[in-house]
Amino acid sequence: MLTLVLGGAASGKSEYAESLVLKTALPRYYLATMQVWDAECAARVEKHRQMRAKKQFETVECPLHLDAVRLPARGTALLEDLGNLTANELYDPAGAGEAAASAILDGLSQLAAQCEHLIVVSNEVFSGGAGYAGDTDRYLKALAQVNNGLAARADAVVRVVCGIPVSYKGAKS
Amino acid sequence: MIFITGPLYSGKRTFANALPGTRIAEVQNLAKDADDLEKLADKLAAYDIVIATEVGGGVVPVDAGERAAREAAGRLACLLASRAQCVVQMFCGIPTILKGELPPC
Repeated sequence: MLTLVLGGAASGKSEYAESLVLKTALPRYYLATMQVWDAECAARVEKHRQMRAKKQFETVECPLHLDAVRLPARGTALLEDLGNLTANELYDPAGAGEAAASAILDGLSQLAAQCEHLIVVSNEVFSGGAGYAGDTDRYLKALAQVNNGLAARADAVVRVVCGIPVSYKGAKS
Repeated sequence: MIFITGPLYSGKRTFANALPGTRIAEVQNLAKDADDLEKLADKLAAYDIVIATEVGGGVVPVDAGERAAREAAGRLACLLASRAQCVVQMFCGIPTILKGELPPC
């Protein structure tokens, strides 16, 4: 079962995705994608770690190279989030660069094959216009390719709006 | 309380005009200066209609203050939605009921 959960900033998408995971059996893996480079990142990581405390998640760091992840046992994996992963693969010198989107989609397929349930959190960042500085457009296109590609193969697609899950595809859970 | 959200110029206030009761709009702007978002949400929930513009749908802002404001606005919207009897999301002037139902008119 592959579920894609999308939402804007502070939309409640993480809490919703975790609530889906908590309905499943152990083991539970949390695939963390954020590269920590300053206090703000560290605070975000800490906030999300606290939210996962006592929920019996085993954290697997995967800021790059999703295809290299080997989960020790079949269970449920929560990957958070594709916005970070896309930026990492696109801009990190060790990342896939121009091939970021296809590398991530390949990695997600391999990951899905290792899980009973894969729940993937992604970001809605496409409603702020296109007038960004630098090559943000390249990022937007890559993330859209990942989002749309994953949505096409997902069993369920849920958009979270101010904490309320709105089903776009598949059965409501 | 009815909570109405949606992008800029999506028809939130026009839609709200057809509903009776007290109202407050652009509450997303109040979030960044609030010491306690729960208390702010409680206070706002005393209105019959609360309207917030969605601001979390763009790329993460470069400016730290803007990032924090956007985060607070999103969190406030979640708190308001949880307190609301009815949540409406506007899109191109079209309402979608995400929670509860509108009062009969």
